[in-house]
Amino acid sequence: MKIEWTKAPVGRRNFLKGATALGAAAALPMGLGGRAMAAEGGTLRVRSYGDLQSIDPAFSKGVIDEEIHASIYNKLIQYKPGREWDWQMDAAAMIEQGDETHIKFALRDDIGFTNGFGAMTAEDVKYSFERIVADETESPNKPDMGPLSHVEVTGEREGTIVLKEPFAPLWSIALPYITGNIVSKKAWEAAGGKATTDPLAESGPYLRDSWSPKEKTVLKRNPDWKGDAPAWDTIEILPIDDENTAEIAFEAGELDFTRVSLGSVQRYRDGVPNGGTLLEYPSLYYTWLGMNLDHPKLQNKKLRQAIQHAIDVPSVLEAAYFGAVDPSTGIIAPGLAGNRPQSLVPPQADFAKAAELLAESGETNVTLKLDTLNKTTFTTAAQVIQATLAQIGITVEVNVLESGAFWASADNEDLQLVLNRYSMTPDPYYATSWFITDQIGHWNWEQFSNEEFDKIHTEASQLTDQAKRDELYRRAQDVMEESGAYRFLTHEATPVVHSAGVVPALRPDGLALLRYFGKA
Amino acid sequence: MLLYALRRFGLALLILIVAVTVMFLMIRAVPGDPVQIMLGPRATPELQARLTAELALDQPIWKQLVIFYGNLLQGDLGIDVFSGRSVTDIVFQQLPHTLWLILGSIIWSATLGIGLGAYAAAHPNTLIDRITAAISVSFVAAPAFVVALLSLLVFAVHLQWFPAIGAGEGFWDRLNHLVLPAFAIGLSWVGYIARLVRASMLEVMGESHIRTARAFGINERRVVLVYALRIAILPVVTVIGVGMGFLLSSAVFAEIVFARPGLGKLVIDSITTRNYPIVMGSVLISTGLFVVSTALADLINAWLDPRARTAH
Repeated sequence: MKIEWTKAPVGRRNFLKGATALGAAAALPMGLGGRAMAAEGGTLRVRSYGDLQSIDPAFSKGVIDEEIHASIYNKLIQYKPGREWDWQMDAAAMIEQGDETHIKFALRDDIGFTNGFGAMTAEDVKYSFERIVADETESPNKPDMGPLSHVEVTGEREGTIVLKEPFAPLWSIALPYITGNIVSKKAWEAAGGKATTDPLAESGPYLRDSWSPKEKTVLKRNPDWKGDAPAWDTIEILPIDDENTAEIAFEAGELDFTRVSLGSVQRYRDGVPNGGTLLEYPSLYYTWLGMNLDHPKLQNKKLRQAIQHAIDVPSVLEAAYFGAVDPSTGIIAPGLAGNRPQSLVPPQADFAKAAELLAESGETNVTLKLDTLNKTTFTTAAQVIQATLAQIGITVEVNVLESGAFWASADNEDLQLVLNRYSMTPDPYYATSWFITDQIGHWNWEQFSNEEFDKIHTEASQLTDQAKRDELYRRAQDVMEESGAYRFLTHEATPVVHSAGVVPALRPDGLALLRYFGKA
Repeated sequence: MLLYALRRFGLALLILIVAVTVMFLMIRAVPGDPVQIMLGPRATPELQARLTAELALDQPIWKQLVIFYGNLLQGDLGIDVFSGRSVTDIVFQQLPHTLWLILGSIIWSATLGIGLGAYAAAHPNTLIDRITAAISVSFVAAPAFVVALLSLLVFAVHLQWFPAIGAGEGFWDRLNHLVLPAFAIGLSWVGYIARLVRASMLEVMGESHIRTARAFGINERRVVLVYALRIAILPVVTVIGVGMGFLLSSAVFAEIVFARPGLGKLVIDSITTRNYPIVMGSVLISTGLFVVSTALADLINAWLDPRARTAH
């Protein structure tokens, strides 16, 4: 081989030398031994499973945004940290239910907005709440405000929330959650009524200092905050979607608080590194196996009941959730009104009864397709269901789908069995809302339609008597189960770990209320 | 050379157009209503209709493609439907993180790979050569995600030498955060480059000009490093250029495992949420990076070896 070298301003020798030097420089271990533990210096580092999407409560996509909103804005009331669902005063100095459709409130007089937008007034409350339900806002969070009519301003810091009809979730969802955040009317109007990812005006104990997309959101103590002083100077929220990565970061001392995977619970029960603590909370999620009532293969109720009895829930949970969760009795989690002490079909499989029901159905050579998300937990659960149904002679083909395709199942006419999981807010109204007749074609994939269920959903949301609500929602789940279209599996769980220097403040479902986090 | 460069970049542009068009059609062929996925279960019908119209999803696909290229020619990659921010801003905010990661991987893997390969070639069929071969093959065979996780456990959790997550702030901190992910995705390239350089050098070492150099009594170290290595390094330039594509795909999982911001993670997140404007913006930029780096590798080769200009 003969090479002809050409003349070039950059010599090849120098090119090689430079590259070698640069490579050596990059390989130097700059950070050796220089890393501080996360909780030092008044900085709390917590993991969020996703990144901020909107700073506007009207367009918040859920808990990820709300963790930030709840720290930089105020609500009339906030969730109270603890193991029981309850609320406490925040921006409200007084709040009381006058009658079933009128809630009077008075604001504290020491809360102001940043950027020169002045004190928080009842006009701000009116603006914040009414813009959520206004048609022109097109807020996806509008249902959380239920039948809000308007807010009457009766004084600079006093007003009355007026509902069109009674709405019990006002106290558990509307006011203490996303839609309850009070924004500055002046700031929002000055910006044309909408904010994207930069705060227009903040009022909470923390201010958003910076946001590096996909990297970090930094909250700093609000110097003008007159309420109880927050414990941390700075809170860094790191979006980490993978729980295993978050666990490694926690063990490396780079996180003070994170949710951990169910697979790691046993390991952390034996001891949390760096003197940390494991806390196990129940979750509000609900997971179930659904059967499409409209599908020709699933018209026979006896067949559906046979499937219900043939699925051994403890085996599913042991394999898919490492035994770290409990069986559920329906769609409403423990701690909420309507949670049933037990389901109609016991969690343990009864293969004899299932075989009997299958024989009664007259169906033979049953072959069904089970759709599930491409997550290990769900594919494992699907495989266990496949194995248990095989014991009574039902063949199941597991169809694993990517999330986009899976969540489009409302349009899938061939949907037969589906392993599903929905999220929840702390009111039973939220759970039942997806299974009413109106939701067929949207989120009611089982095509379940029952007059009694629909009636309960409407009635129970208007009741303020918790005992009556409890009774009605329990009955609603009985109705679901009696249809044979549902086999309830679990509410999952929320295991979290925190470092030794942190006193976490959590909702009863283990989600973080960052503004109340303390120091040990 | 100029004609060759023009021809090469013309081809690159054609490849870019084909790749982006195919990706455009593919993302629209996947099942699932993007508007419903983007907005979630509780979006009002009015909002869904407005977004459908904004994204031109109510138009035939050919028209959507025309609109996309029309906007692209005006430098408009669209608006992120979630945040309302410019896609160009979002993509170019994430791009430097990925470029640093790829550059870091190339620098260290090329440096070590060339060194190992050259050393092995200078000592053929010796114990050193066999050890180098074993190391190289082991590096090539080591799956990058395994290396990533093990390096995290050893160097971040146990020894706490390097940070486990994030990208850092400021130059030195960013460099510090780069070490483990760059190590993870560059390791297999060390082995690959080492094997390549060794084979190439052994071929070159048998050439007449090397024998001539030796006959003139030139120091063996100089013969190896100056006369042989700089010829043997030619295939490495091509491999690195083509390797940009592989490194881009490796960057995806590195960004997930190390919770780093970057283009790869942005694409994955956007595909699962069917965020079309971001997907197309990211694909355009990453495909552009790939074709440009391949073209540049060809140009460097043509510059170093004039025969390459007429080889096609």
